[in-house]
Amino acid sequence: MKNAIIFSGSGGQGIMSMGIMLAQSAVESGKHAVYLPSYGAEQRGGSAKCVVIIDDEEIVSPMTKYAGTFVALSDTGYNKFIDELEPGGLLIYDSALVTSKIERDDITALGIPAGDIALEVGSPKVANVIINGVIIGLMGIVSQETFQQSLDLKFAKKSEEVRALNRKALQAGIDYANSHR
Amino acid sequence: MPKKLVKGCNAIAEAAILGGCRFFAGYPITPQSEIPEYLAEHLPEVGGTFIQGESEVASINMVYGAAACGVRAMTSSSGPGISLKAEGISYLAGAMLPAVIVDVTRGGPGLGCIQPAQQDYLQATKALGHGGFRTMVFAPHTVQEAVDLMYDTFEYAERDRNPVVLLLDGCLASVMEEVEFPAAKELPAKHPEWAVGNFDGTPRARRTVSSLAGKEAMEQRNIRSGELFDSWEKNDVRVEKYMLEDAEYVIVAYGMSARVCKYAIQQLRAEGIKIGMIRPITLVPFPKAALDELDYNQVKAIIDVEMSLPAQMRDDIALQVKDRVPILTYGRSGGVTLMNEETTEALKNMIGGMNK
Repeated sequence: MKNAIIFSGSGGQGIMSMGIMLAQSAVESGKHAVYLPSYGAEQRGGSAKCVVIIDDEEIVSPMTKYAGTFVALSDTGYNKFIDELEPGGLLIYDSALVTSKIERDDITALGIPAGDIALEVGSPKVANVIINGVIIGLMGIVSQETFQQSLDLKFAKKSEEVRALNRKALQAGIDYANSHR
Repeated sequence: MPKKLVKGCNAIAEAAILGGCRFFAGYPITPQSEIPEYLAEHLPEVGGTFIQGESEVASINMVYGAAACGVRAMTSSSGPGISLKAEGISYLAGAMLPAVIVDVTRGGPGLGCIQPAQQDYLQATKALGHGGFRTMVFAPHTVQEAVDLMYDTFEYAERDRNPVVLLLDGCLASVMEEVEFPAAKELPAKHPEWAVGNFDGTPRARRTVSSLAGKEAMEQRNIRSGELFDSWEKNDVRVEKYMLEDAEYVIVAYGMSARVCKYAIQQLRAEGIKIGMIRPITLVPFPKAALDELDYNQVKAIIDVEMSLPAQMRDDIALQVKDRVPILTYGRSGGVTLMNEETTEALKNMIGGMNK
């Protein structure tokens, strides 16, 4: 499914919340979205995977194996699911954590030093928000404003400092996308 | 109300509260533990009671107790837990008590695996416990439909004084989808006249709720069960007919499998294959007429698609189709789910094989 995005990484990286945040803000901006977590005894350090589908039309079935976009935030995740990226698809990966050579030549690949950018922004915890910023910047599925609102809502109970940090991370991701088209 | 992205389990739990649920007892088991988790937090907010029992057996008997007092009571579980609750469900039916059982299915038999499956069709529709009784079984295929069905289950249970089952596979329990919730139902002003417990403090004759009865009384209850079953078949069948008008191949599928089949049908239709689907929304009562009334001069085959090996719904289909056309089956099982692309390919190959 061209409009499907696979997120993969290790438990604890915020893979699932990346997917949920994106799907949530898509719904909030009037689109249709589904989020399907992968099944397994997920735990910190184990592998994590989820699929998000965003569409203008109602989504018939979330049970897609192949996706038009693949986000890999760990080497294990990359190797496990790279075959599920459709030909002509987009690979977004953490260039520090995915150490395998990107061998497929039928895809577009964009490596992001998300960990480094996160440290520059102020916390290693916001790497996943940076990646979501890149996705939004490249694909334009939801507007920055809508995603920002979803993000603020998610951290509504946290301090203004946390919300500001996430806003900064989102902007950094979008800036990265704009300078690497 | 704007649509919200909600996980299947949470949506069902919220719909239960909106539908009037005021008592839940259960014991955790994947893939439905988010239902008790949600109710533990939110049931007390509406004055309801949540109990995590010490076991499945204890939990279903607590449901029996609450239901006997006329409270809208439910439990939820998955395969192994439902098996343990079978005794209590039979007792509920025996005592003519309304209650709702949410059955979220995973791979089995035995402890099986935590991943989704549809292998408890026979258990849910034919033998949820010993003795002469049947229950209505609803099988949603989207989170929204799960909400809408859950919302009304207590009223069906009370109408019939009989347990009602909401059956869904683990996929639907864990997927997050857009949902619009209905408004909270008004609870009945009075406790039912058969319920135990003197809630209004006025003197009255003692009431008894029991599944134990003499043979004549027991037979009367069995006869009543039969009459209920007949009335469901007459009045309560729900079915979706999807792209059937010119269909030469008719899929029968329920739950998430039906979603996957809709995807496949759209793909195969684009290739010129005339294929459609009958989707039971109620598994009990089974949509017999929809199958019986197909134009068998036009239909070349029926294809039963389930996440179950061996296929379990096939027999119900065969009773209606008889020998008019071949019945093919396709499925994945044991926690391996049906996927859009693979299912499309498999159906295409099956149809191609028939036309060789």
